[in-house]
Amino acid sequence: MDRITISDVRKTFQLHSGQSIVVEGKPTDRVPVLAGVDLTIRRGEFVTLVGPSGSGKSVLLDIIGGLTQATSGRTWIDRTLVTQPDAKVGYVFQQYALFPWRNALENVEYALEVRGVPRLERRERARHFLTLFGLKGFEDRYPSQLSGGMQQRVAIARALSTDPEVLLMDEPFAALDAQTRDLLQSELLRIWEQINTTVVFVTHAIDEAIYLADRVVVMTARPGLVKEIVEIDLPRPRDLDLRNSPEFNHYRQQVWEALRDEVTRAQQDWALSASYAN
Amino acid sequence: MAYLTDKSQRESRAFEFWRRRTPLSLLTAGQTGTFIIGLPLMLLLLALWEIAPRAGLLNPIFFPPLSVVLSTLAAMTTSGELSRHVGISLNRAATGFVLAVAVGVPLGLAMGRYALFEKITDLLVQTLRNTSQFALLPVFILLLGIGEASKIAITFYAAVFFLLINTIVGVKSVDPLLLKAARSMGTSDWNLFRKVILPSAVPSIVAGARLGVKASLMSVIAAEMLAAQSGIGFLIQHSSLMLETDRMYAGILVLTAIGLALNYVLVAIDSRAARWRDSPAGGGA
Repeated sequence: MDRITISDVRKTFQLHSGQSIVVEGKPTDRVPVLAGVDLTIRRGEFVTLVGPSGSGKSVLLDIIGGLTQATSGRTWIDRTLVTQPDAKVGYVFQQYALFPWRNALENVEYALEVRGVPRLERRERARHFLTLFGLKGFEDRYPSQLSGGMQQRVAIARALSTDPEVLLMDEPFAALDAQTRDLLQSELLRIWEQINTTVVFVTHAIDEAIYLADRVVVMTARPGLVKEIVEIDLPRPRDLDLRNSPEFNHYRQQVWEALRDEVTRAQQDWALSASYAN
Repeated sequence: MAYLTDKSQRESRAFEFWRRRTPLSLLTAGQTGTFIIGLPLMLLLLALWEIAPRAGLLNPIFFPPLSVVLSTLAAMTTSGELSRHVGISLNRAATGFVLAVAVGVPLGLAMGRYALFEKITDLLVQTLRNTSQFALLPVFILLLGIGEASKIAITFYAAVFFLLINTIVGVKSVDPLLLKAARSMGTSDWNLFRKVILPSAVPSIVAGARLGVKASLMSVIAAEMLAAQSGIGFLIQHSSLMLETDRMYAGILVLTAIGLALNYVLVAIDSRAARWRDSPAGGGA
């Protein structure tokens, strides 16, 4: 059963007037970011997107989440065309995006609140999800009183509290230190294995992409396209020692092979278009 | 290498490295400590006030000793005269301030929300904002008469721009990532305003209210000195003209006390409105 279908999705950004960029030798103020992405994601699948900076991974995530409109092409979730944010979708950001004036419990409750879940029920659900992420006893802490890892746990708990059918994660662990990142990857897998939500996870880290995924989608340098899809046939439940196994190393080689040329191309691209940064 | 071994200094902000500290300053940690160490200088000034007129260093007609002023103050308090003037001044300031909140905050929210509305009104707002409320007092009197309305108008005018500008700033400073997160959770337009934009604007609005309250109070005193038959401003000005300087200083002392009390309350409200900020970090990974 397919859960997400992405068909020939293109996205072009319009620069501000006076700004320009060189594409194929010609100056233009229109930057193509996605150039016809086709991808099908199965129900309950864990898919990771890797690609060099500027390959449009996050933009693709925004399009699936209904936060950005594609310039052309279509996206469906369960055969429903995506035109706006959908209640069935949860979203987790790199910078946590917690409301600083709400404590941990109230932050998790927010997602349920805007869906009109009654007060007692949402309080109970929020507590349950915080406990699931080992945050029992931290319910009344404000985000400024929590470490980065704890803040991201709250954000994931918030996204999962509504039982989403699709969970979108935009480099959720990139801002965390290496040990915390390892810990959270394992926690995420442990919980995901119990709930079977479809996950689309954007990352720069090859190890993270392989460790988590059923399939790793490698994107090209800008404008982004699907370059290669690597099926990860490793047994679940997985633990971190898996990363030292010969099979894991084989996948690491395979993903890096696909990614290497794109990273080089992306670097040349950025060097050529320094004006874009302005 | 003292700063490497002294834990409390090492962990404080970078500025503290430059600040000179003495062992005595360790005793003054906290609010009570700061109050106690500030007391001697305060008492010195009060003692000078008492002694200088008695010793003939100052003319007691212009500078009655502190004890004389305090006994006048006590008499005015028991007679009810003082509370009448205080009540009238505070009432005027409060009415103007409440009106300023009622106008400034909704207008600021609208200007923060609708870019075109802000552009249309910006020139007018900037012009009015830079016209002194004191310069406009004669205009208010001509338009609204010598009664209560002109005094309330000047307190309103003094406060409204602080509230308006700070509300606009508060609305505009909403973290775009929070808006994106809220949208991703299916937040409606109304909830986005109520649950995201308004709470993020609150600290800025409260800061504007703090400035507005002080401006209101200052303006009402000035207006009462210029054109009124009641209020603390009138009391101070009238006593001065009558050369009843003990009554004049009593009025000034009351004004200072009101200012201190008000500041204390406003700081308390401010730190409550932003109790989620600047909290000490805690917990592990």
